[in-house]
Amino acid sequence: MLKSSVERVAEATPHAIAKRMHGLSDRALAWLFVAPSIVLLLAVNIFPLIWTIRLSFTNFRVNRPNAEVEFVGLKNYLNILSDRDIWLTMQATAHFLIWTIVLQVLIGFSLAYLINKKFRGNDLWTTIIVLPMMLSPAVVGNFWTFLYQPQIGLFNYAVGFLTGADPSSFSMIGDVSLAPWAIVIVDTWMWTPFVMLICLAGLRSIPPSIYEAAECDRASKWRQFWTITIPLVLPFLMLAVLFRGIENFKMFDLVVQLTGGGPGSITELTSINLKREAFEKWRTGYASAYAVILFVTVFGLASIYVKALNKVKQR
Amino acid sequence: MAEVVLQNVSKSFGNTLALDNVSLTVPDGAFVVLLGPTGVGKTTTLRMVSGLDTPDSGEVYIGGRPMKGLSPAERNVAMVFQQYSLYPHLTVRQNLEFPLKSPLLKTPKEAIERKVREVAETLQIAHKLDNKATALSGGEMQRVSIGRALVRNPQIFLMDEPLSSLDAKLRADLRIELKRIQAKTGATLLYVTHDQIEAMTMATHVGVLNEGRLVQFGSPREVYEQPVSVYAATRLGQPRINVLPADIFAGAPSGAKSIGLRPEHIAQGEGEEALVKRVEHLGDQTRLHLTFRKHDLITVTDAHTPLKGGETIKIQPSRPLYFDAAGMRLA
Repeated sequence: MLKSSVERVAEATPHAIAKRMHGLSDRALAWLFVAPSIVLLLAVNIFPLIWTIRLSFTNFRVNRPNAEVEFVGLKNYLNILSDRDIWLTMQATAHFLIWTIVLQVLIGFSLAYLINKKFRGNDLWTTIIVLPMMLSPAVVGNFWTFLYQPQIGLFNYAVGFLTGADPSSFSMIGDVSLAPWAIVIVDTWMWTPFVMLICLAGLRSIPPSIYEAAECDRASKWRQFWTITIPLVLPFLMLAVLFRGIENFKMFDLVVQLTGGGPGSITELTSINLKREAFEKWRTGYASAYAVILFVTVFGLASIYVKALNKVKQR
Repeated sequence: MAEVVLQNVSKSFGNTLALDNVSLTVPDGAFVVLLGPTGVGKTTTLRMVSGLDTPDSGEVYIGGRPMKGLSPAERNVAMVFQQYSLYPHLTVRQNLEFPLKSPLLKTPKEAIERKVREVAETLQIAHKLDNKATALSGGEMQRVSIGRALVRNPQIFLMDEPLSSLDAKLRADLRIELKRIQAKTGATLLYVTHDQIEAMTMATHVGVLNEGRLVQFGSPREVYEQPVSVYAATRLGQPRINVLPADIFAGAPSGAKSIGLRPEHIAQGEGEEALVKRVEHLGDQTRLHLTFRKHDLITVTDAHTPLKGGETIKIQPSRPLYFDAAGMRLA
């Protein structure tokens, strides 16, 4: 596509102009201008992708560069798809993905809806709410480990205060049944503001006169909410879900800092698992196949989702 | 349909007084047009009646009932907005159905369908019913927005410059159509415009607004022939009324500061000499631009006049209107 548009520009250029510039034709000049970007794109995106696909069919190990590389066909793929542990990390990822999205959409939209009401100081509140999003995930992960401390953690104290339970009787990070929720809570705390901002943009894009028309058409607030607010914000909301979904599918930093995948491997999401296979166990071929599978999954899901999104937009 | 009364209604936004003690009665079945340039409080008046805004003081009555504290839904008013305000994610049909689908009404499905079709045909948008509301031209959108009011049976229709964004042909068509619908159904209409042709052709009553005050209220003919002030006189009539110093012709009553002469109220043939500056042939009539004692004025004459620029004619006032120093008319 790139080539054809370059050519189209070149062809549309009058000959007289094309002849100038030290004997360089306009077409050559056009290629000269786009070449750096194309080279860069090929070098850092396309080539690694193709190389990864190639490696995924071999038993190559990057820590043994001199060993003979064997072509193993689909063996890596079959091993991955039949590995119970990998399915467990997939489950952990699905749990994380679904709950963060559900919570962030519900809380984010509610906050946006409230902030959108005119009241004193709502700009200040917006700024305060948006703060977590501005922090580094590593910092957030680190200080939530303190908040989750059974003895001194504020989170445990607050739960204890509200429910009457002993704050040191549970450990969000150390307990196998609580750790998956611990990472959901932190991600929700950090990224709900993002969903809120997008929802707020959606809400503010609805002209007030539409609500006035609905008011005159005798639609109750309830009906206005479901027949006007929700359908008009939906494309924005879906966009937020897409962004959060892609981000959280490859979630790494926050969770590594918080639980390191533990306890055991209960919070070991696929990207953490993948990093282990590639750079701790050095099974490069195997990890490449793993990466290809994840890439196809994200790409496939995202394309289906974007189609749905466009349909909603055109409604 | 019902009578609508505004009693001493005032409203300010910040430091601007939008409505200043307006009292107005819209009789049941009347077509009342509020006339005035931008910013004189026309739309504010509509919003007071609709309940979208509430007066600072004064009271609005619909059908004899005070409306204080009642929402637009409770007032049962239908409003057409200047900026269409269609529901952008819905089709034309869904837009038209929207007011009928109110749970308050419990309209049966067949009745909704019949009503929507009827209104769509009246407004010539039946072939667009399944289009999305945003996939229409401006004129079509405005017709849908008028249709959304017409499907209902409200106490009063409120229309805020509904024709201002349409092209001339459609505007002329819809003017006749609106008047026809109003005459047929006996609907009460409060209609806001700055277009005097709409006022003259459709209104049973015209209300002239100036700086938040209702300066004159009466039939279009009354406002045209007996304007209370220079301001009211210049609202109606195309070309505009000529306003000249009162002493330019003999016979001005004492206290008169200026004389108002409608173009058709300048008799030609006798009187004093005026220079013809320009002749505009409009087909059905001809406009003469005259210079009379260093003042410009416009009059109309026979369509096939042989007059040319540079010639002189004799003129005298036939039905002059005299105004005092404050611009008020002298009886």
